[in-house]
Amino acid sequence: MAHRKKNRNVGIIGVGQTKHSSHREDVNQPEMIHEAVRAALDDSGLKLEDIDCIVHGNMELFEMVFMPDLWHVLGTGAYGKSQFRITTGGTVGATLSCAADNLVASGMYDVVLAIGFEKLQEGHTTGGITNMADPLWFRNLQTGALTGSTAYNIIREFGEERAKKASMLYRVIMDKHAMLNPYAHRAFGLEFDQMDDLIKNSPKLVGDLKLIEMCSQSDGACAVIYASEEKAKKLSQNPVWVRDHVTVHREETFCIFGYDEKYPVTMTHTEAAKRLFERNGITDPVEYFDVFEMYDPASWWAVDWLRDFFLLEGDEHLKLVENREIMIDGKIPINPSGGVIASNPIGATALLRVAEAALQVRGDAGAHQIPREVKHALASGFGGTMWTVLTMLEKELNW
Amino acid sequence: MAEYFGVKVEDIFNTMQERFRPEGAQGVDASFGYDITGEGKWKLTVKDGQMNIEETEDLSDCVVVTITDGETFVGVNIGKVDGMSAFSSGKFKAEGDLGALGKTAKMFRKYAPAKKEMSIRDYLIDMFGTVVERFKPEAAKGMDIKFAFDLGGEYGGQWTVIIKDDTCQVIEKIEGKPTIKLEFMDAKDYVDFSLGKIDAQSLLAAGRAAVQGEINLALKWGEFFEKYLDPMASGEKEQELLVLKKTISVGQRFATGPVMGKFLNALKDKKILGTKCPECGRIMLPAREICSECRVRFSEWVEVGPKGQVRYMDYVYYASPDPLTGETRDTPYGMISVLLDGCKGNDTFAHIVRNDQIDRIEFGWNEMAGTRVRPVWNEKRTGSIFDIKYFEIDE
Repeated sequence: MAHRKKNRNVGIIGVGQTKHSSHREDVNQPEMIHEAVRAALDDSGLKLEDIDCIVHGNMELFEMVFMPDLWHVLGTGAYGKSQFRITTGGTVGATLSCAADNLVASGMYDVVLAIGFEKLQEGHTTGGITNMADPLWFRNLQTGALTGSTAYNIIREFGEERAKKASMLYRVIMDKHAMLNPYAHRAFGLEFDQMDDLIKNSPKLVGDLKLIEMCSQSDGACAVIYASEEKAKKLSQNPVWVRDHVTVHREETFCIFGYDEKYPVTMTHTEAAKRLFERNGITDPVEYFDVFEMYDPASWWAVDWLRDFFLLEGDEHLKLVENREIMIDGKIPINPSGGVIASNPIGATALLRVAEAALQVRGDAGAHQIPREVKHALASGFGGTMWTVLTMLEKELNW
Repeated sequence: MAEYFGVKVEDIFNTMQERFRPEGAQGVDASFGYDITGEGKWKLTVKDGQMNIEETEDLSDCVVVTITDGETFVGVNIGKVDGMSAFSSGKFKAEGDLGALGKTAKMFRKYAPAKKEMSIRDYLIDMFGTVVERFKPEAAKGMDIKFAFDLGGEYGGQWTVIIKDDTCQVIEKIEGKPTIKLEFMDAKDYVDFSLGKIDAQSLLAAGRAAVQGEINLALKWGEFFEKYLDPMASGEKEQELLVLKKTISVGQRFATGPVMGKFLNALKDKKILGTKCPECGRIMLPAREICSECRVRFSEWVEVGPKGQVRYMDYVYYASPDPLTGETRDTPYGMISVLLDGCKGNDTFAHIVRNDQIDRIEFGWNEMAGTRVRPVWNEKRTGSIFDIKYFEIDE
């Protein structure tokens, strides 16, 4: 696979987001988007006229609005500017970030604003996701993004008790992080001693996937401003550098994990991590990265994917969770923001991973700032049956 | 001094300084008099973007003097009384330069009554205290329902809202057998829920709330009662936030193409046909023209099954809508991945399993085989996924 270095470096110089919530009847779509745009402009000290190009995206037709970017022009500020619309499902926020990075790196534009949003209450989330499946066969069978297959796999590999505890421990840790994030949608105040009770009593969705373990359905928006190295240094005190990003996806079939070890299935997370780390000379990602903002649609997947993304073996990923190394003050903090389980305005979700990672590098995450210096950050996006985007952010421009 | 709508006349004057907008007072150099019957007289002086207010008997040098009673004055200021009709009816009079009086409107931000704190207990008393006045008898015609509320925590309590014979009654206990019982571990969650600060699903998911009895009736609460308005939210009546409801229903026709078409046509003859990749040898189900992994066209049609073994099943409890019909699916159901005889590896076939057998399905793994199943064909077959009704255990 051909991979070329950028023509020029790109820095993130502004980050904005709305409060994420199930209740945003108080604003319409362009108004909600504008809250995030306003916040990003204020964060960067820029004005709308400083923006050369806007990239806009969300889940296609989730709110059943065709070309929503036309209506949203009132909130995005794209009137009279170059604008692109991107929609790549769950990964859309990450793809927005890749596109903005590419548009600046190519030399086409100096300052690009990426905007992801979703108002899930204005449509039907599970119905919307089910519509992704082909109408000739799978759509009759699919249940949105809900599947118990990962839970089944982890239970089969590590036994029921250890597997269920790891998933619920991850869930409670995410809630502890969400409690520190004023923008988070769901922050319950869960305690570790509630775990057994939650394992027993939280309603089941599919198989061993329980309601408490699944991501929320949120309304919200996120906006991030990207600038060329020259502009970033001029406009910002603390630009966060986008070092590299990679996208891997595969055939749209529903056999995601495989049922026979003799016939391995392409795992896009592992593939993406391998490619990204290899071309950037990273041999021990857990050592290298100071934070990972992971697109974690459910706690089961999150636990499993730690192994994929960090190229771990055996039960190393479970140990990271069990030893609470993924907590905000642990060895490799995962989602100090509370992650996707806490807030999931889908079209904004993967962009929020990049935005939150950038805030950590800057040291501006507030109450959920990691208590030691963050130099290297990783952010992921996930969508489709198996799509992966990984983005690497750096504090220093020294690689 | 008397209170009107909870506000005193002097409150309006005493907050003028903090509500003053210099940008709205540009070019104004004048004094304005207020003669509030039975309350007193005040003089507002504006000059160079600054203001002063004093209580005084002498309004002789004012360009205009407003004469009204306390209730009208407070009412107009907090938006409870329409200024124009008060003026037309003579309750609100102005002597002097009426044009100048108009300028005062731009000089001040609107008066907002000082908020007193409401405790969780205050809210609960207010919420249940206003249930009867918020009841909509026409919406609950003929209903006979007892909503019980069991709210825990320091400030909690028990209430029952009884709807019967088109009337509504609230008692501060739970007795008999309620139609629906709502339990909140912490009464604060109930208050936040009622104020729209937290959603019911989150509370249910976290185990902080539970519903017993007829859940469908619980969802009708909003039809039977007007929304509870937070008395702390604003001094004026909140604008209703309109949500426009739309339902889209679109007839669609999806072309199947020659490959998928042949696969679907074969179902009419109770045959399952897959396409074979000439490079990796896998059999694609439903049939596809290209093996995307090898990036080559398929080489031959292969008839497989119709029996096979289950490799995995999603045991679905969540009632999701079928996007093709809009109907909510009956739960639980089992979506299975079947390795049909003649296929290998991950070339599984996706369908559903007979509903009363979902608890008996075992999954295969590696060499180990899963539960053997066979398709049950529909009498009438049209070339669609449901030419097979479901798979059932082959015993």
